[in-house]
Amino acid sequence: MMKKSISYCVLVAGLLLLPNFNNWAQEKSLNADEILAKVDDVINAPEDQELKVNLILIDKDGKEKLREMNMLQKGSEKRMVKFLSPADQKGIGVLSLPNDIMYLYLPAFNKTRRIASHVKNTKFAGTDFTYEDMEAIRYSEKYIPEILKQVDNFIILQLKPKAGVKTDYSKLIMWVKSDNFCLTKIEHYDKGNTLYKVRTSEKFEKLGKYWISKESAMEDLKARHKTKMIMVDVRFDSGLSDDMFTERYLSR
Amino acid sequence: MINYSDLVIKYRKTVIFTTILITLVLGYFLKDMKINADIISYLPKSDPVVKLFNYIGEQYGGNLSAMIALETDDIFNKETIERINHLTQEFKKLEDVSYVTSLANVLDIRRDEEGTLQISRLIDEYNLPNTPQDIQKLKNYTLSKTMYRGRLVSDDAKATLIICRLMEGADKIKTANQLKEIIKKSGVKGKVYYGGLPFQMMDISKIILSDLKLLIPLVSLLIVVTLFLSFGTLRGVLLPLLSVAFSTIWVLGIMVIFRIPITVLSDAIPVILIAVGSAYGIHVVSKFDEEQMNEVNKIIRSKKALHEVGVPVMLAAVTTMAGFLSFIFGSYLSAIREFGIFTSLGVFFAWIISVTFIPAVLSLLKAKGKVVSLDNRIERKSVLTNLMDKLGEFVLKNEKIIIAGGIAIILVCIFGMTKIERKVDMLDYFKPGTPIRMTEEMMENKFGGSIPIQILVKGDIQDSTVLKEMKKMGKYLESQGAHNPQSVADLIEEMSDVMGEGKTIPDSKDKVGNLWFLLEGEEILSQLVNPDKTEAVIQATIVNVDTARIRRLVENIEKYIKNTNTTLFTFTQTGMPSIYQHLDDSVMRSQFTSLIIAIVLVYICMVFLLHSFTGALIGLVPIVFTLFVVFGLMGFTGIPLDIATVLTGGITIGVGIDYSIHFVNRFREEFKKDKTELEALDKTLETTGKAILINVMAIMLGFLVLVFGNLVPLQRGGILMAISMISSGFAAIILLPAIILMTKAGFIGDFSRLINGVRNHFGSNDK
Repeated sequence: MMKKSISYCVLVAGLLLLPNFNNWAQEKSLNADEILAKVDDVINAPEDQELKVNLILIDKDGKEKLREMNMLQKGSEKRMVKFLSPADQKGIGVLSLPNDIMYLYLPAFNKTRRIASHVKNTKFAGTDFTYEDMEAIRYSEKYIPEILKQVDNFIILQLKPKAGVKTDYSKLIMWVKSDNFCLTKIEHYDKGNTLYKVRTSEKFEKLGKYWISKESAMEDLKARHKTKMIMVDVRFDSGLSDDMFTERYLSR
Repeated sequence: MINYSDLVIKYRKTVIFTTILITLVLGYFLKDMKINADIISYLPKSDPVVKLFNYIGEQYGGNLSAMIALETDDIFNKETIERINHLTQEFKKLEDVSYVTSLANVLDIRRDEEGTLQISRLIDEYNLPNTPQDIQKLKNYTLSKTMYRGRLVSDDAKATLIICRLMEGADKIKTANQLKEIIKKSGVKGKVYYGGLPFQMMDISKIILSDLKLLIPLVSLLIVVTLFLSFGTLRGVLLPLLSVAFSTIWVLGIMVIFRIPITVLSDAIPVILIAVGSAYGIHVVSKFDEEQMNEVNKIIRSKKALHEVGVPVMLAAVTTMAGFLSFIFGSYLSAIREFGIFTSLGVFFAWIISVTFIPAVLSLLKAKGKVVSLDNRIERKSVLTNLMDKLGEFVLKNEKIIIAGGIAIILVCIFGMTKIERKVDMLDYFKPGTPIRMTEEMMENKFGGSIPIQILVKGDIQDSTVLKEMKKMGKYLESQGAHNPQSVADLIEEMSDVMGEGKTIPDSKDKVGNLWFLLEGEEILSQLVNPDKTEAVIQATIVNVDTARIRRLVENIEKYIKNTNTTLFTFTQTGMPSIYQHLDDSVMRSQFTSLIIAIVLVYICMVFLLHSFTGALIGLVPIVFTLFVVFGLMGFTGIPLDIATVLTGGITIGVGIDYSIHFVNRFREEFKKDKTELEALDKTLETTGKAILINVMAIMLGFLVLVFGNLVPLQRGGILMAISMISSGFAAIILLPAIILMTKAGFIGDFSRLINGVRNHFGSNDK
C-alpha cells in the first residue's frame, strides 16, 4: 500500500512534464477523501528517517535564535529528539512512543522522567509547533476533507475535525501539489475561526524515493513569532532498530 | 485704547462675521474630539521611573492586562469551572487579545503518584473535572499551590481571576467592551468585577463624557439665571453666554487640531471657562447699559463704553490667564500642563470675544427703552445697599480689629496647613462605590491589591546566583507588605521540585538550563523574562495605602537594592509606588512654583495698574489671605493636596485678584473726587462692592457645579475654589479697605487732607 503510493507520487511527478496534466487530474477526479489519503501516504512514506534539523526561532522584532537537534523517527509513531544546542540544553532528549507516551531526559540531572503531554497546545521547546503539530498523525483519521478548489497545480482542501476529536483548530486549509501530493501550505484556524498559524513548506527535493521539503516554517500570526525548520541532513530507510527508541537509549 | 475701540466699532460687521466664521470652523473640528482616559499616559515620558514602567508594560504586558474577576460562594463547582473555561476560550478568540490566563489554562507543573512529570494545564479543557470528588481534588490542589492561591483564586475560594493580555497597540477600550459583551452573553451568575487599565479607561471615558454632558448644561443654566437676575434683558443673558460658549468651542477646536485629547482634568475646562469667562462679557454689557443713559448716539456711546471698560477687563483676563499659566512650569503630569495652557487660552478667547464681538453686536442693537444698569438694579435692592453702608462704617471703625482678626485667622490656618494630607493615588480619582473602586476593594480583599510594583533584573537570568537573589528580593518585598511576588525563579523552583531535587534553585547553571527547557514556549515566561534571558522582572502588588507609607516602601526597597546590586546583576525599582513618590514630589514642587509664579505675575499686573510697588503689595493681601484660608481649610477638613486641588492656589490668585483690582481702582477714583475715606468707601462698596459679591456668587456657584461631577479631585477642587472665591471677595471688601485705611497708603491718594476728618465726617455722611 505504502510502496504503491510512493511510486504513484513518482509517476505523477513524471506526468508533470506532459501537457494537459490538469485536465487529466480532473478527469481522474479523485474525491476529497482520496486526496487526503494520498497526502497522508506521502507524509508517512519512509520506513524511518534520520534528520539533523536546525530550528530558527524568529521573534516579532526579527531576532533569531538557533536550536539544533537530531531527530530519529521510525514509522509514524516512534520518535527520538536530541538537542545539540544551545549549550545549556545540549543532550536533552525527548522520546515519543505510541499512545501519547513521552519520556524526557535531562542530562544535567542525569534523570529520565516520563512526561504526560496530554496538553496538545503546549508549544514544543519554544517553537511555534505545538505537540499537536508535532504529532505524527494521519490527517484523514482526525479530519473530514472537502475540496475548496483546484488552481494551477494545486488542490486546496478544507479540513474540519471529526466529531469528538480534541484539537486546537477549528479548521485547516491545505494546499496540496496536485502532481506529488506534497503539502506546501497549511492554514490553521483557531476556535474563533480566525487564521492564526500558517505552515509553509518549500525547497522540495526528491531523495531516493521520497519527496522532502528542505525548509519549512510555522508562523504564529497572533504572537508574531515564527519558527523555521531547516533540514541539514536527511537519511531515509537506514534500518533504525527499535532499541533506539527506548528509555535506555534516551539517556545515552 | 481709543484707537482700538474705534477699530472694533468701525469694522463691527467684519468682527461679527469673523467671530461666527471662526466658531463654525473650529466647531466643525469638535466632531473629532478624543478622550484620553489612559492615566498612565499623563505621566512624563522623560522620567526614568516612568520610562522603565512603560518599558516593562510594553515588554512584559503589564499595562495591557484586562482582569475579570468572578465571585460566587465557591468557585469550585462544575458550572463555574465550565464558565471559566468557556470565557477563557471566548476571550482568546478576540482579535486584540494575545493571550488569556485563568484557572482553565494556567501552567501546571507537578509529579503524579507514578512519578510522571506533568507539565500541563491546571484544568484540561477537553476533560473538565466532572464529579464532586474531582472538583474537590482540584480545589485542594489549587489552594495548596502559591502559584495559584492569592493570584488566580482567592484564599477563600470565592473569587477567581481571568487575565487577558492585550496586544501591543490594541484598542483597549474596544477590547474592554468586547470582553464585557462576552461576559453579558454568557449569563454569569454572581458578581463580576472588571479591573486593569483597559476597563479603567473605559470607565474613565464614560465618566468624562457624562460629566461633560451634565456639567456644561448645569453651569450654563446657572450663568443664565445669574445673568437674568443681573440684567433682566435678553442681550444681557445671551451675549456673555455666547462669548463663553464661543471661547469654549474655540479652545476645544484648537485642542482637536493639535491632537490634544480631553483628560480627567481638561474635562473641567468648559465649566471653568463658562464660570470665570462670563465675567468679561458681563462687564462689557453692563458698561454699555450704563452709557446708554448718558449718550444717545449709538456709535459714540459704544466707543466710549468700550474705551472705559477695556483696561479693567483686560487686567482681569490677564491676571486670570497668569493664574492658569502658572501650572505649566514644572508640572509632572501632562494633563496639568494641558489644562493650564488651554484654560488660559480659553480665558484669552473669552476676553477677546467680550471686547470685540459683544461691543460689535451691542453697537448694532437698538437702545432699550427702559434700561436698568447693573448698578441701578443693585441700587434698588436697598437691603444690600444698607448692608454695604453698615459694612463701610464697620470697616472704618474697626480697622484694627479687622486686621487683628485677619491675622488671627491666618495664624489658625497656618496651624491647619501643617495637617494637609497629600494624595497622589490615581484610584482616589473615583468615588467610592464606582466600579473601579469596587474592583480595587475586591482586589485588596481577595488578591493582595492591584497596584503593581516591579523590579527589573539585568544580568544572566539563568545564573543560579541571580535567580537566588531574585527569590530573596521577592521575600524582601513580602516583608515590606507587598503581595504575591512572582518571578521566573519561582517557576524554576517548582520545576526543581518536580525533578525531585527539592524546592530550591539548583546550584549548577546546566541544571537551570535543563529546567528552563521545560518552560520554553510557555506564555507565562514572556511575562517574566526576555527572550535573550538577560533581563527579567519581579512583580508584586500592594494594596492602596497612604502616601507616607508608599514613600517608606519605595525608600526601603531602594536601600535594599543599593546593598545587593553587584557587577553580576542589577535590580532597578519601578511600578506605581515609585511613580506615586515622584508624583507626590512634583505636586509639592509645582504647588510652590505655581504659587510663586502666579503671585509674581499678578504683582507685576498690579504694579502696572497702580503705579505703586507698596500699593501692589497691599493689593495682594486678599489673595494671600485667601491662600492661607484655603490651605488651612484643606488641613482641617482633610481635603488632600492632589492633582486637582494643587491647582486651587494658582486659580485663586488669578481669579481672586480681580476683586482687589476692581476695589482698589474704584476706591482710588472715589477718593480722588475729594471725598472722605468713608464717603469713598461707601460709594465703592455700594457699586463695586456689590458687583464683587454678585461675581463671587456667580463664580462660586459655577465652581460648585464641579461637585456634581464624578471625578473626586475635581469635586474637591470645586469646593475649594468656591471657598476661595468667597474668601477673596470678602477679603477685598473688608480686609483690604481696613489695611488701606490703617496704612493710609499713598497710592490711593493724599490721606493727609483728612487728618482730623475721619470721625467728623461721620454724621454728615449718612444718606
